[in-house]
Amino acid sequence: MVFITAEEILETVRMIQTENLDVRAVTMGISLHDCASRNVDELCRRIFKKVVARGRRLVPVAKEIQDKYGVPIVNRRISVSPISDVVASDDPAAYVKVAQALDAAAQEIEVDFIGGFSAMVQKGFTQGDRALIEAIPEAISGTQRVCSSVNVASTRAGINMDAVVKMADVLLEVAKRTADNDSIGCAKIVTFCNVPEDNPFMAGALHGSGEPEVSINVAISGPGVIRNVVAHHPDISFTDLADLIKRTTFKITRIGELVAREASEQLGAQMGIIDLSLAPSPKVGDSIAEILESMGLERVGAPGSTAALALLNDAVKKGGTMATSSTGGLSGAFIPVSEDAGMARAAAEGALTIEKLEAMTSVCSLGLDMIVVPGDTAATALAGLMADVMAIGMINSKTTGARLIPAFGKKAGDWVTLGGLFGEAPVMSVNSAGNAAFVARGGRIPAPLQSLTN
Amino acid sequence: MRTTVIVTALGPDRHGLLAAVASTVAEQNANIDDVSQTVSNGMFTMIMFVSFDETETTMADLQAALNETGARIGLQIHVQHENIFRFMHRI
Repeated sequence: MVFITAEEILETVRMIQTENLDVRAVTMGISLHDCASRNVDELCRRIFKKVVARGRRLVPVAKEIQDKYGVPIVNRRISVSPISDVVASDDPAAYVKVAQALDAAAQEIEVDFIGGFSAMVQKGFTQGDRALIEAIPEAISGTQRVCSSVNVASTRAGINMDAVVKMADVLLEVAKRTADNDSIGCAKIVTFCNVPEDNPFMAGALHGSGEPEVSINVAISGPGVIRNVVAHHPDISFTDLADLIKRTTFKITRIGELVAREASEQLGAQMGIIDLSLAPSPKVGDSIAEILESMGLERVGAPGSTAALALLNDAVKKGGTMATSSTGGLSGAFIPVSEDAGMARAAAEGALTIEKLEAMTSVCSLGLDMIVVPGDTAATALAGLMADVMAIGMINSKTTGARLIPAFGKKAGDWVTLGGLFGEAPVMSVNSAGNAAFVARGGRIPAPLQSLTN
Repeated sequence: MRTTVIVTALGPDRHGLLAAVASTVAEQNANIDDVSQTVSNGMFTMIMFVSFDETETTMADLQAALNETGARIGLQIHVQHENIFRFMHRI
């Protein structure tokens, strides 16, 4: 028996019981390439059969591991090969059928979400990519559990501005179609730069072409644990603070490693990655904003917020890297607004603006995430916001993403309730200066000098 | 196969808490390998290393029995496989 001190045991129990430590998601990646068929109905049948066959035991195994170790596993999810790689059709209706098959499979095995209704168009569109993007509004508004992502930019290819404009139109259409639920459909669509192929987080999870047949990817969490550690040391220097965060993140990540090893063994899947992201939830005490505020900021968004986030993000990665040899996914602190009660509060008070969030994006993962904007925001403004986020990712050789929700019929200052882990948020105002002529140029913003690394 | 779990209990102190937990563990055919308890400011805290043969009881049964005991005597009782502590605090 390994000697473990009473202090260490009680620390673990405290983290789980009072500081909301959990495993945010166990995501099974499933390759669908062997499902290919020119007959769409046959393709859907094969996809349903394979997802159910490989994913059937995911939920019970996750429950078993949760009970064994006493650590909540909040979400069980499936990611699949980007659907535009699997469907051989230029008819959007075919893609809608596939989305329905994915939804039915997810429902059958009772997973929370299924991601991968996706296309990679950073350099240009195939006919299938165009059809998939055209199908997104009907696919997302007509299903419960399907998530979609489109990679429109990369450091190697630049930014496909035509795709950015298309995604802005898609968001407005989805917002309209899901207006009865505060345009919640937009929460299930991510526009990416440098999309990772092994991301366990929704809505951007997909099972990339370099992935094995079936893999298990685990997303850790634990903002509440970090917040408590920071709050209990109000007077230590930044150097000591970073060290403290590293030590704590190490422990959190080890739980992810344990869960990933056990889940992959039990499910007969290859162990994929541990995503070192600190993911908040709408629960009070489970907030990235509160960590930054515990560092000494009155409200997140105050001058110094970007520096505080940079310290946090870097320390989380350093601590996590020591705890696992299988890092991947997004691996960085998230700064969603609706999913983080502290961010939403700061936005409502005017301390946090879209421009500040954009600045913060440059030092962490994701980007303008779960940000609710007025329903009458112009498509060109949405495209401009997304292009800015893509530019940060492209130039800095990192993943960035945008999840914008132009809430139909809502105006700045209104509140929108998305429910569950999606949380609630105020509608944030968007800079009204025009950009239509810029966006209308179309084409591709060329890959930066950073792409020439060989 | 022999399994080791760590049982932690926390709650307001009163007579017979340790005895009640220990009795439940015994009723489940599990063995107490080590136990420590303290009372501070009226709060009872207990850590118990418990092992059992999986042919004689299961973790689920032990958890269910201890949850029932905890509800009866006013303690929050958690049962966790030892590996989580080993992974978190040791390389």
